[in-house]
Amino acid sequence: MGKLTAKCIVAGDSSVGKSTLVQLFSSNGSHFLKNYSMTTGIDVVMKTVQIPDTGDSIELFLCDSPGKAVFSDMTEMQWDQPGCFCLVFDVTNEASFSSCTKWLQKVRSKTSSAQLPAVLVGNKTDLSDRRAVDKLEAQEWAVRHGLVYFETSAKDLENYELPFQSLAKSFYHMYQERVENFKSLV
Amino acid sequence: MTKAGDLCLSAAGARVILATSSDERHPAEHIMDGNPETFWTTTGMFPQEFIISLSGVFKINKITIHSSLVKNLRIETSISKEPVNFEPCTEKVLIFVYLLIYICFLLPQLSGIQAAHLRFVILSAYDHFVAVYSVSGDT
Ligand SMILES: Nc1nc2c(ncn2[C@@H]2O[C@H](COP(=O)(O)OP(=O)(O)OP(=O)(O)O)[C@@H](O)[C@H]2O)c(=O)[nH]1
Ligand SMILES: [Mg+2]
Repeated sequence: MGKLTAKCIVAGDSSVGKSTLVQLFSSNGSHFLKNYSMTTGIDVVMKTVQIPDTGDSIELFLCDSPGKAVFSDMTEMQWDQPGCFCLVFDVTNEASFSSCTKWLQKVRSKTSSAQLPAVLVGNKTDLSDRRAVDKLEAQEWAVRHGLVYFETSAKDLENYELPFQSLAKSFYHMYQERVENFKSLV
Repeated sequence: MTKAGDLCLSAAGARVILATSSDERHPAEHIMDGNPETFWTTTGMFPQEFIISLSGVFKINKITIHSSLVKNLRIETSISKEPVNFEPCTEKVLIFVYLLIYICFLLPQLSGIQAAHLRFVILSAYDHFVAVYSVSGDT
């Protein structure tokens, strides 16, 4: 039995729902943040994810980061050596989708390993009449940049755990591959 | 003071008494088992560390580490009876040789240092995970 640990950066523009998704996931869907409260520093929340059929698990240290630029100097220092990355935008907010390129560059610049498992999350799908970002467009962008795409509604408790489970699985497979490499060296 | 050729090996009474990170398939005991094919893996995030306790206080002249993907490594020593009061004795950046086992000899900085316990702190790496195959020391 093995227990992995991964530092998971959660980033994206302000008010897209990062803290909401993190709280919801870490409380197993029981805690939806209805009222907006701006994140001003990195809030670390630990959540254990079981890897199905293995007896292995991963402790995800979710680094819920502020979206507001004024806090970025302080917080980005703490992104050092990330294990995986959850990039969030709001499907009703075109600008938050455009910012994704910037967020991805910033986080990727913090890693010294060749691989960084990453997901793109389009949140707030419940607001379908205000939708501004096309699902296909987001999906294509994600594929082009090597991310797995998910759509979520934290409000309707829809898919909120999938992005994190996907990251946990990718991280786990990366570990297994690396161990095989270590074996083949001797 | 005792003298031994390979003081860090289990056969000489040295043991890994602590290691962060945990995969039962690749435990820290593998560092000391004398088998070059087994290894300890870190399981995510840095820093990671392990402590080797020797069977007494030894004067050390050389330490050899077989590892893969370690970048910044700090070695600390303690002469206390218990593994406390560590003092840094060397910090080293291992040059990246992709996927090769890096064999690191730490000679000048360590020469003549006395230790009952050795603490290896892996500060950073070239990947999410590293392996340490063995550590040995000469007096
Ligand atoms: N309708 C709807 N509202 C949501 C959803 N997810 C979050 N919200 C709301 O959006 C607002 C902002 O959410 P937060 O999670 O605080 O946003 P954030 O990304 O952490 O923002 P910063 O901390 O400023 O970076 C809150 O009022 C949430 O209730 C969703 O899926 N649907
Ligand atoms: Mg927030």
